[in-house]
Amino acid sequence: MKRVMSMIVAVLMMAGIFAIAGCGDAKDAKKDEVLKVGVLYISPEDDGGYSQAHAEGIAKALATYGDKIEIKKLESVDDADVEATNAAIENLVNDGCKLIFTTSYGYMDPTVAAAAKYPEVYFSHCSGYKYSGNGYEGKNMDAYFGQIETARYLSGIVAGMMTETDQLGYVAAFPIPEVIRGINAYTLGARSVNPDVVVKVSWTNTWFDPAVEQASAEALLADGCDVMAQHQDSPSAIEAAESAGALAIGYDLTYTGAPNAYLTAPLWDWGTYYTYKIGQVLDGKWEVENYWGGMKEGVAKLDALSSLVSEEAKAAVEAARAEVTEKGNAFVFAGPIYDQNGELKVAEGESIPYGDQMGMNWFVDGVIGQIPS
Amino acid sequence: MFRITKKESFTKAEAIIYRLFGFSVGIIFSGIIIAALGYPVFKTFISLAEGSFGSSIAIRNTISFLIPLSVTALGLSIAFKMRYWNIGGEGQILMGATAAMGVSMVLPSGMPGPLMMLSMLVAGFIGGSIWALIPGFFRINMKTNETLFTLMMNYLAICFVQYLYFELWRDPAKKGFPGIQDIPFRARIPYVSGISLAILAPLIIVLVVYFLIKKTKLGYEIRVVGESEPTAHYAGMNVKKIMFVGVMLSGGIVGVAGAVKLMGSTGTLSSSLGGGAGFTAIVIAWLANLSAPMIVLVSFLIAALEQGAQFIQVRMGVPAAVADIVKGLILMSVLGSEFMLRYKILFGVHTASKKLEERASVDPTMQDSDPESEVVEDSI
Amino acid sequence: MESIVRNDLHPAFSMRGITKMFGTVLANDSVDFEVLPGEIHALLGENGSGKSTLMNVLSGIYRPDDGQIEVYGELKEFRSPGDAIDSGIGMIHQHYKLAEAMTATENIVAGMKKPPKNSGKKDDVLRTDILRYASRSPAKTQQKIIEFSSRFGIEFDPSIPAGQLSVSQKQSVEIIKVLLRGASILILDEPTAVLTPQEAKKLFSVLRKMAAQGCAIVFISHKLNEIMALCDRVTVLRKGQSIETCTVSEIDAYDLVEKMVGRKINLSINKPDPDPERRVCLDVKGLTYSDSKSVPKLDNLSFTTYYGEILGVAGLAGGGQKELCESIAGIIRPQQGDILVDNERIAGLSPRDITQKGVAMCFIPEDRLGMGLVASMGIEENILLKEYALTKGPLIRMKDATTKAEQIINELEIKTPGLKHPVRMLSGGNIQKVILGREIHLNPKLMIAAYAVRGLDIHSSYTIYNLLNEQKQKNVSVLYIGEDLDVLIDLCDRIMVLCQGKNMGIVDASSTTKEEIGQMMSGTTLEELKRGVSYV
Ligand SMILES: Nc1ncnc2c1ncn2[C@@H]1O[C@H](COP(=O)(O)OP(=O)(O)OP(=O)(O)O)[C@@H](O)[C@H]1O
Ligand SMILES: [Mg+2]
Repeated sequence: MKRVMSMIVAVLMMAGIFAIAGCGDAKDAKKDEVLKVGVLYISPEDDGGYSQAHAEGIAKALATYGDKIEIKKLESVDDADVEATNAAIENLVNDGCKLIFTTSYGYMDPTVAAAAKYPEVYFSHCSGYKYSGNGYEGKNMDAYFGQIETARYLSGIVAGMMTETDQLGYVAAFPIPEVIRGINAYTLGARSVNPDVVVKVSWTNTWFDPAVEQASAEALLADGCDVMAQHQDSPSAIEAAESAGALAIGYDLTYTGAPNAYLTAPLWDWGTYYTYKIGQVLDGKWEVENYWGGMKEGVAKLDALSSLVSEEAKAAVEAARAEVTEKGNAFVFAGPIYDQNGELKVAEGESIPYGDQMGMNWFVDGVIGQIPS
Repeated sequence: MFRITKKESFTKAEAIIYRLFGFSVGIIFSGIIIAALGYPVFKTFISLAEGSFGSSIAIRNTISFLIPLSVTALGLSIAFKMRYWNIGGEGQILMGATAAMGVSMVLPSGMPGPLMMLSMLVAGFIGGSIWALIPGFFRINMKTNETLFTLMMNYLAICFVQYLYFELWRDPAKKGFPGIQDIPFRARIPYVSGISLAILAPLIIVLVVYFLIKKTKLGYEIRVVGESEPTAHYAGMNVKKIMFVGVMLSGGIVGVAGAVKLMGSTGTLSSSLGGGAGFTAIVIAWLANLSAPMIVLVSFLIAALEQGAQFIQVRMGVPAAVADIVKGLILMSVLGSEFMLRYKILFGVHTASKKLEERASVDPTMQDSDPESEVVEDSI
Repeated sequence: MESIVRNDLHPAFSMRGITKMFGTVLANDSVDFEVLPGEIHALLGENGSGKSTLMNVLSGIYRPDDGQIEVYGELKEFRSPGDAIDSGIGMIHQHYKLAEAMTATENIVAGMKKPPKNSGKKDDVLRTDILRYASRSPAKTQQKIIEFSSRFGIEFDPSIPAGQLSVSQKQSVEIIKVLLRGASILILDEPTAVLTPQEAKKLFSVLRKMAAQGCAIVFISHKLNEIMALCDRVTVLRKGQSIETCTVSEIDAYDLVEKMVGRKINLSINKPDPDPERRVCLDVKGLTYSDSKSVPKLDNLSFTTYYGEILGVAGLAGGGQKELCESIAGIIRPQQGDILVDNERIAGLSPRDITQKGVAMCFIPEDRLGMGLVASMGIEENILLKEYALTKGPLIRMKDATTKAEQIINELEIKTPGLKHPVRMLSGGNIQKVILGREIHLNPKLMIAAYAVRGLDIHSSYTIYNLLNEQKQKNVSVLYIGEDLDVLIDLCDRIMVLCQGKNMGIVDASSTTKEEIGQMMSGTTLEELKRGVSYV
């Protein structure tokens, strides 16, 4: 009995403390004019990779617009879990977001569904192919991505110049068009300066798993590759190269952890896009588009070349940079291009059209590796 | 050194107080963390509640979390009643969904929606039960440890679905992106005034499970087997058969949870379809003391917590990791208080062998061989 | 011999106003109870009257909701059994849970604490010695233990594993264990329920020696003759309340029963005449069985039972009674022999089929709950256990079970707060009544009752004897396996004596004597007795 009584008292006391703590919070008035912008991330904002690149872009936009916008974000939303994604978008809408960026490919179908359900909210989905007028009827959904292949191409030039074994390693997440495009662009870049180069691909089937990525990289290094590149969310491949005394190209962000291996990296700079798109909505001038900026717009760029990069390589990059920047992917994927079997895929004077780039499922000549059918 | 035994009894008042106490402790500790990180405590909790129940969107979200959790926990509870520790819920959800997906792919597209849905539900049941019966078979006939085996089957299921996702069932219409096609529109569970009819699944299954356990011979047998296999033998029960059927039902219902999720929510199959429900459901079943109606209630609370924790990220800008901590602290405190309610911890046992001696002298329930107090005996 | 009486002015312990509730069940209702040093004090009461609960409170297992405990004049509050042991209170439960693989010595030494330093008591010196030797010299430890035990006349070999000790030896180990932990207040909860009369006698002399050395002993038993023979005083509990404490020499057994039950009851067995037709019901032929370790348990056992008759089975513990019951009920498969009921083979059938052929069994194993009951279910659902399968359709019929449960509760006066109250929470005796009631209600042809009154209070025991006689009058054939020879003689028509799985002969209850049965139990066949041969 005594025990029961003391427990009641304890609970009451805690409730009291709780109530007092609560009173301290003054309720702030609703700021209606502010545009609430929602962002959905697949990993934590500071993952040192993909999501961080997006978050830095959002931060830039916020710096530009200040009080006019408010950012609402949800991190670590599994993009393969449709239900979790749906719930996350609903929560953003529920909190009053009028513009929502969904930053990972897997969010595409839930974004389409949400756009249909909430026509008064603008949606913009990254790295997919559905948007208003293309797989979706409504007027409120954009798609955006960038021509990172331009930067990949330039990084390929660096690798092609730096390799001694003429074998480049590439740790790749999934055999999807986005990754395949990157491998092809990298290979084309490398071969543009060194026709003997081959690029060996190893699939990890994960975006983020340092142990697996490292194991893949080590296998490639052991197989004779002396420059690593990767399409992953962790820098494990660079670290593996550093330990093996080889060289490496990064991705997403500058990597300072491997001073003896890091050459450069294709980088995203989403700030340009987010500032641009949020500005549209703020001005009431939303326009449906399939944004695909490249180096010209500043969405894609090549990191400053590190001191390990030779003068010849630097010169080769600079030689190509202007044209790549100006023409973008049309230059990267300009013919003649042969596939792995030596068949001519793109004739001289032509370039792979946008649609085919988006669905790219074959490797160019010089890639050693297979795309599972 | 201490040891843990099941309490002989507790009163309703104690139960309420312990639970309230546990909940308050969770709130207080997470409040401290929130405050330490510089977020307004009271507002955060208000938006936690608002996020779970505060608007029609919130309630809809909570319900959509509730459905797979409750159906899975209901399924698992059948196995748990037999003291068959089915930890394989996640895999059974996936395989149920896989079977339903497979059926939707081969059925003639002109088939009427309800018929199609029914076939998919049946397929889901079969898929889940087969997946549960594989470890079940070995447990029943060879006495292997089902806990480890069912756990392993989860990972196997995930790998299998990944294989389907990237290879075998990869949809060419996805322009080279991996993924499986959506199920036909008519196989989707419809919404009525904003609420998915999938909510019928837990409502029906809770009745079925309750009825099965309380009113049928099979349910009775399942309870007896769980309590004591020798007694079941003594009463002339075919223990192997009962186990078999019980495991089949358990896995089947969990499989239905997968099929319902496929048809009512995700519309397509991926290895994330389970979303961890197979594991959370274990906690739910335990908290609900394996009572079917309580499972639905507890699932509702956990779903609300889940949804509320997500909403505070949006409303308050709390990072995901902190929201997870809040969720975890509340859940842990509730679990802890529940544990304190049902078990007692005896301190002051000096040596390991003293444990033996204490066990001899401390036995609280008469001249007993109370199986329940044995299960949790443990010393740390 | 040294006396350890600490202070004769005070009782060894006194409990005042002890109240203990389990949920809604008031198990102890402001009970007063005290025992003097050097006294053997009986605690008597019907099943469920709260004896075990009261003693569990005294030994620190339960905390009372209200009331005070004083030990040697000092107010105590026990938080755990350890606290009670430290105050000198030791309890011997009906069930010894020794570590079977460890030797008796190891069991005794495990968990022993150092006695307080320089107390100067002889026992403490001994305890310190034993602890000191424990890790170094098993032989010396054993010697010390033997030395200590012999003071009370306890004999056992401390070097053999506990699993190989007999029930009474295990009990001895438990007693020594408790004493070596410094107990001077000893509680024995139904210590004789599973002892043979000889073993019980030995125990009594041990207890007397301990009392003579100043120990206070609480002795719980349902056997009035034991209380009359052994105890100094007796306290009667009824429905959780302490009714009266009397000096044993001033009261007779009938008064005690009346105090216990609260009214006058008739304690005699009305033996109806057996059915003269002598139609054979059960026919057992050459039954032979060895267990999984190929220890022979039944040895070419043959006998028949008749309708309308009670056949008693007497024998020492472990003489094959259990195996005989399990063979008939279909739980084990004998290697040889045949079992017929009404000339139909039942050997080899499943337990359920055998039940359907009209065989019911009420076997009370030593741990009561071990077989035949589902501990967490209520009476209702336990009634279902045997008959749920007999009804048609996939559903259980709760209604029938409920009616039956109510009937059984009434007939056998089972004390339970409700039909759904888990049987695990009933008192030992009430648990047994549930099993018995259920089996009787199957309306069997053959009723096997093994140890049916183990742990039952007298009143309930007689209720059960009468129930069995009713069955007999309904022309049921009853096989009664029991321990109390007086009861066997009063209740049964014929008595078969088993010794190591062999049938030593069947005697007529009206003409036999306890001595005759006793001799047969220890290995003399009836024929040999008639020829005047005796090995005893
Ligand atoms: N752990 C428990 N939980 C609930 N009720 C209990 C518990 N232990 C005992 N009881 C109840 O308390 C009452 C007293 O039980 P107790 O075991 O003390 O009786 P007893 O006098 O020892 O009976 P018996 O002679 O049959 O052993 C009974 O009604 C019993 O059902
Ligand atoms: Mg008792």
